[in-house]
Amino acid sequence: MRPHFFSRQTALGIALTALLLVFGSSGALAAVQGIEGPSFQLTAKTGSISTSDGESFLMWGYADASASGNNTMQYPGPTLIVNQGDVVTVTLTNSLPAEAGNTSIVFPGQVVTTSGGVPGVLTQEAATGGSVTYQFTATHPGTFLYRSGSQPDLQVEMGLVGAIVVYPSMGRSYAYNHEDARFDREFVLVITEMDPTIHRMVEYEEFNLIDTSAYYPTNWFANGRNFPDNLSDDFVPWLPHQPYKFNPRLHPGERVLVRSVSVGNQLHPFHYHGNDIEVIGEGGRLLSSGPGMGADLAWQAATRRTIPGQTADVMWTWNAEQLGWDIYDHQPGVDYPRAEIDTTWTGNICDNFDPLLYEPNTTTQLPAPGDPDYADLFDPFTNEYCPDHGTLFPVILPTRDSLSFGPYYAGTPFLGGEGELAPGDPGLNATAGYFYMWHSHTEKELTSNDIWPGGLVTFAIVEHPAVPLP
Amino acid sequence: MQLDNCNPAARRRPGQRKGNAMKAFRYYLPLILALFLLAVMPQTWASIAVQCPEDTDGIDADGDGDPANDIVCRHITGGDGFATMADGRRLYMFSFGDADDHQPLDPAGPPVEETPANKALEAELPAPRITLREGQELYLTMTNVSMVLRPDLFDPHSVHWHGFPNAAPIFDGLPEPSPTPNMMASFTYYYKAAHPGTYFYHCHVEAAEHMQMGMIGNLWVTPKQNELPDGTVLLGGFVHNAGNKYAYNDGDGSTFYDVEIPIQMTGMDSAFHDASEFVTPLMFAEMHDNYTMINGRGYPDTMDPNVIFNQDGTPGFGAQKTPTLIDLEQGQILLMRVSNVSTTHIYSMATTTGVPMKVVGRGAALLRGPTGEDTSFEVNVLNVGGGQAFDVLLDTQDVPPGKYFLYTTTLQFLANGDQERGGIMTEINVSAAP
Repeated sequence: MRPHFFSRQTALGIALTALLLVFGSSGALAAVQGIEGPSFQLTAKTGSISTSDGESFLMWGYADASASGNNTMQYPGPTLIVNQGDVVTVTLTNSLPAEAGNTSIVFPGQVVTTSGGVPGVLTQEAATGGSVTYQFTATHPGTFLYRSGSQPDLQVEMGLVGAIVVYPSMGRSYAYNHEDARFDREFVLVITEMDPTIHRMVEYEEFNLIDTSAYYPTNWFANGRNFPDNLSDDFVPWLPHQPYKFNPRLHPGERVLVRSVSVGNQLHPFHYHGNDIEVIGEGGRLLSSGPGMGADLAWQAATRRTIPGQTADVMWTWNAEQLGWDIYDHQPGVDYPRAEIDTTWTGNICDNFDPLLYEPNTTTQLPAPGDPDYADLFDPFTNEYCPDHGTLFPVILPTRDSLSFGPYYAGTPFLGGEGELAPGDPGLNATAGYFYMWHSHTEKELTSNDIWPGGLVTFAIVEHPAVPLP
Repeated sequence: MQLDNCNPAARRRPGQRKGNAMKAFRYYLPLILALFLLAVMPQTWASIAVQCPEDTDGIDADGDGDPANDIVCRHITGGDGFATMADGRRLYMFSFGDADDHQPLDPAGPPVEETPANKALEAELPAPRITLREGQELYLTMTNVSMVLRPDLFDPHSVHWHGFPNAAPIFDGLPEPSPTPNMMASFTYYYKAAHPGTYFYHCHVEAAEHMQMGMIGNLWVTPKQNELPDGTVLLGGFVHNAGNKYAYNDGDGSTFYDVEIPIQMTGMDSAFHDASEFVTPLMFAEMHDNYTMINGRGYPDTMDPNVIFNQDGTPGFGAQKTPTLIDLEQGQILLMRVSNVSTTHIYSMATTTGVPMKVVGRGAALLRGPTGEDTSFEVNVLNVGGGQAFDVLLDTQDVPPGKYFLYTTTLQFLANGDQERGGIMTEINVSAAP
């Protein structure tokens, strides 16, 4: 039992972020946060991060040392964004304290050549104050990672990790060169954990007391932030060393690509509320039985174990299919003009759907995904699931005094609906979006250093079609 | 869970300073108002009720030939109780109990308002099993009957149907984006079971605590393929006979089975449960399950065909109702509905039969690619992370009659606390075909 759900500052931050997101949006779909290649200048240096239990910890991490970068250590490191076929060059400068020793970068899944630096066990390293350059050709599209190759049991734990996105030649709406890998929105999710003892020993310069074989993590991160910090916007000033959020927002029916990057020491059964995922790629390869076959070996589940050092490309969508009630609370038999959502949209909601085609008590089944008629089940603009159009909400909700409310409940079961909030409710869901927790199902990892809630918890939000998204 | 808005200190504004009389009035005003409202308001706030509509639509949604049996109503409680570990140790727990024996679901039972009184300390491990046919609608009422041993708590509880496709937050059981019923209140969840498969359900309120404390149950949905007319020929020439059972709508009989058994792997950390029972701070960072179980029992209790009583009072309450006895005739196919709901560990499992296990479902989905590619696979050891579920077939055609074991290959968990030869293990008895 922990009495405080949010610190006041965090709650304020989330509220401001929500306002910014609602009123500061443009038309284009969100792009991945990161730095564009093909040439990168990274510096390994120290900095401190904040955790949701109110602590701060010394980290070693990568900074963007290019002319356009802020040269600030960040956790995780900058996401490196390149195109298939690019000759990628990464120059690393070692600005870590001398006690850290040499450092380096390995690029699993890439054929790397090096220049400069000093010899190390896995690759050429940068000595204290020195530099080294790595080069590889981004032959394969997909999601990859980079991390320290020098004393990695300590340096990776200290934060020298990052993600790499290689866009296919088909373009930046695709994860791979196939229509099965098309997405509407994409998000990078870097999963790590922390044993605070190690960070304290480094901070106190007690390097001889560090025992990475006694590794016992008590804190878990999505993009270097605990819940609820990972819902605050990208680059918020109060998290200067943790610039990336993880808070996918989408409209019903949109395909979201989660580029899952696991770069800690533990496996995490990562569970997606709201709908099943479809895993279309692992380790930077489409799950395909052969060239041109698409993602025919993709697999579906509600939970996927993240494996240390492995990346995956995970598709997620949500469309209320077969829910059994109308998520918009449309009344039976009433036509609803769409102009209130978008003046360019004509017709009535779900007017393409002819329920007589699927009359109950006949042998006609509703078309399944892949069936040519499947698209007829959905409104072409709002993606509303038409067979449930006008179907009443099935139960009576208890009175307000019988219930406890969370900060993301908008006082209504309906998407984009209106409702009354309990006194004192922080009202963090002004648009009445549908919040879905994506989290580790090793549930002890929903804590930050013994403090509930925190840790490896994130939220995705399905927004009403009229809510503009960045 | 206690939110800021429940804490009077958080609602005070530090900048406001008034005279003593004013201050006293300010503090007493809510009390006066509350007494006034108590006097005039109808007693709607103690809402213990079961919602269960009748199936009158005339549509046979589950395809079993009866158009009037497509609505399933269940009533469970959320509260506390005790479970007995296989070494005899009693652990305090939170879980769900079974209240189907009260009105209105049992017209001859006690009134529904008596549920909290009658069901106090009757939490079950695992929580009551829920089984549905594809196409059925579930009205699941959960009444929060409070925690008898923890009068200091006022936690709500919830039901999260883990893996339900296209869920809506209102019935997803997450306390952050949806309401959860307080003590002495009921909440009716609605689910249309559109997708067959092996699921489970659990409380999602402060999940690290409430799931460690035991609030998890089995839930599965059987496919419409079970209801096909006798003699229907499936793909590949497989002939469906009435009464045949399948894990999924496979179209070719490849998930046919004779016997099904839940294998819900879980664990409890006795230090955490003792800390909860004795109202001491809960240690999340040090949480580490030392009692590992299948369906709420460690070996050899997994083999006990009887209900296990918790010795709480005389004769105690039968909290652990689910044996994991596997008796097969050679040639039969066993469907294991495997899940891991531990809050601390990932488990692997294997059998000593010498034949591989065929994994045909994962996460309540048939193992087929988007274009129908067969992606099922055979393993000798299956690794199951928390929150994962698998449908696993064991074909005994080549297994000679005898006694075999199903056990976790994560060998340190073959223990009940410090008692060896226990934990996640049960026996598979194969007899000769008649």
